[in-house]
Amino acid sequence: MKLLLVEDDLDMAAHVLAGLRERGHVVEHTADGREGLSRALAGGFDVLALDRMLPGLDGLAIVAALRRERIATPVLFLTNLSGIEDRVEGFEAGGDDYLVKPFALEELLARLSALARRPTLGAPATVLHAGDLEMDLIQRTVRRGGVSIDLGPKEFQLLEYFMRAEGRVVTRKMLLEQVWNFHFDPQTNIVETHVSRLRAKIDLGQRPSLIRNIRGVGYSLGV
Amino acid sequence: MASRTRLFRTASFRLVAIYGLSFTVASALLGAGVYRSVDAEVAREFDDRIGEESDALQGLYATQGGERLAQVLAARAAGGVFAYGLQARDGRLIAGVARPPSGKDGKPSLGWVEMPEAEADEAPEGAPEMLRALVTRLADGTYLVVGDEQRRTMGAMRAILVAFGWAIAGILALALAGGIWTSAQFLRRIDAMHGAARALMAGDWSRRIPVDATSDDLSQLARAFNRLFERIEKLLLANKHVSADIAHDLRKPLAHTLRRLEALRAPGDLKPEIETELEGAAADIEGVLATFDALLRIGQLQAGARRAAFRSIDLRDIAQEAAAAFRPSAEDDGRVIVEQLTTPFPLQGDRDLLMQMIANLIDNALRHTPPGASICVRTEADARGPRLVVCDNGFGVAETELNLIFDRFYRSEAAAFASGNGLGLALVAAIAEMHDLAYAASDNRPGLKITIVPNVGERDGAA
Repeated sequence: MKLLLVEDDLDMAAHVLAGLRERGHVVEHTADGREGLSRALAGGFDVLALDRMLPGLDGLAIVAALRRERIATPVLFLTNLSGIEDRVEGFEAGGDDYLVKPFALEELLARLSALARRPTLGAPATVLHAGDLEMDLIQRTVRRGGVSIDLGPKEFQLLEYFMRAEGRVVTRKMLLEQVWNFHFDPQTNIVETHVSRLRAKIDLGQRPSLIRNIRGVGYSLGV
Repeated sequence: MASRTRLFRTASFRLVAIYGLSFTVASALLGAGVYRSVDAEVAREFDDRIGEESDALQGLYATQGGERLAQVLAARAAGGVFAYGLQARDGRLIAGVARPPSGKDGKPSLGWVEMPEAEADEAPEGAPEMLRALVTRLADGTYLVVGDEQRRTMGAMRAILVAFGWAIAGILALALAGGIWTSAQFLRRIDAMHGAARALMAGDWSRRIPVDATSDDLSQLARAFNRLFERIEKLLLANKHVSADIAHDLRKPLAHTLRRLEALRAPGDLKPEIETELEGAAADIEGVLATFDALLRIGQLQAGARRAAFRSIDLRDIAQEAAAAFRPSAEDDGRVIVEQLTTPFPLQGDRDLLMQMIANLIDNALRHTPPGASICVRTEADARGPRLVVCDNGFGVAETELNLIFDRFYRSEAAAFASGNGLGLALVAAIAEMHDLAYAASDNRPGLKITIVPNVGERDGAA
């Protein structure tokens, strides 16, 4: 994955750069908004991570300028405040996701990977596969190795999200936002309970589980 | 209709009504005084006229005798204004038509009398007119009666009464019209103030009361309020900057610490005890950051976050989604969530925030009840409108603490064991207020019941 980080907090930028490079990604960094825009316009990035408040040109203005130029590179906003206005403004300007600072490196990585691998335009798949697990999005049915599995609506939605992100790390926060539309962290462990119920249904008694725990980060569905 | 009654209830209308009434009473008193003195004067003149006539006739009798008097009386009665009568001692009418009325002793009474008009002068129909007459006894024992119709004075008095009646009606009409006009002017300006106040409460701190060039008391009041609003806006702005600065300055070092802890754990070759301690430290810092976020969010909501994202939504649908999200976790801990969500609860709002509001309510109920508890989530409606209720049958909250549970960091004695940062219900309160919703906690006997209803009465200050 090749990404551009535009961030003026140099200490944090160094941490992110080190972490991402260690995992084999190609990362460019600048602390200046205008410089960031010109590099993004030059193209070649899978994903952009932009700070909302930047010297020179702020994150919103960069995205707006990119979208005007019909550059659709996915953008992740890094914001200091989880304000409602911040989030709405970010999406309205053309951002694709947002992450409130401070964040765990794994959270950032999971979100960047999700954005970078967003399916390209084309006929959307109606049947998803992950190993011997098969999900029919039209019939709303799930089968594993020929055995039909009965899922509740939320469980179906959760599994669909996992299957679309097959092999990638999905964090608890991402699930809360994408599956439940919760833009806050409830005290109750609703994600854990739903995942454990889903596992009980799709694993059919086999071990290890199709959905792996990634300690301190989240989950990953993989065969 | 409502606006019309509102007009009559304004302070200015009341003031004008009081003035109008005072003027009416004063006019009525003046009228009564004038009426009394005019009445007395008219009555005196009336009596004087009759007395003069009687004196003249008595003079005529004294100089020219009874027969001449009888002739003169007959002539005058034909074309004159007075009613006359000359009665002999034996009761026979010598001249005229007015017979002196008899007193108690059967003899005619002397002096001023009131009597019905004699038949001959009577109008064809109706009751006989009343005469006021002077009865005198002449030297030969005959009685002389000179009288006049009382109606003549009464007519004059009635004219005076009618004139005063019209004057009072005019004063009342003018007072009413003046009251309506000044009240409408007053209301227009009060409405402008009200509108500005509502906008300010809704978070539009740049809003001001429109002020015209006049310098009357209302304009001065409006200017004073505008200066006050300006000051509040400045303070809020300063507060916002401080919050943002604190957010930045405190979160940064915390974030750095969190990253250091993460870096320490990364190699994965630590002793398990150290690993556990590091994990605990990281979780603590995350907790502080979460509390911080919640506080900032409450602050933002109270400062009036923009409502541009408000859409028409049904709180029932959100409650359904929230209840479904929490149900598996509740069941795993042996609790049940009982939904009764058939009544719609439409409103304008921010979906994400309302979801957080209901989630916090359910979260709160789950964390403050023993396993086996039952949690209700229901919508109801009555004549006053829809209602959202989240209740439980747990330990409840002491009566004296019910009002406090929505305060920041408030934690009841009974809840000391429960997890949480003490901000969940404060966020509920902030979100409800932002949506013009009222919230209240009550005893569910047993347990706690939290009710959310639309804030009526705030809509229209006069309603």
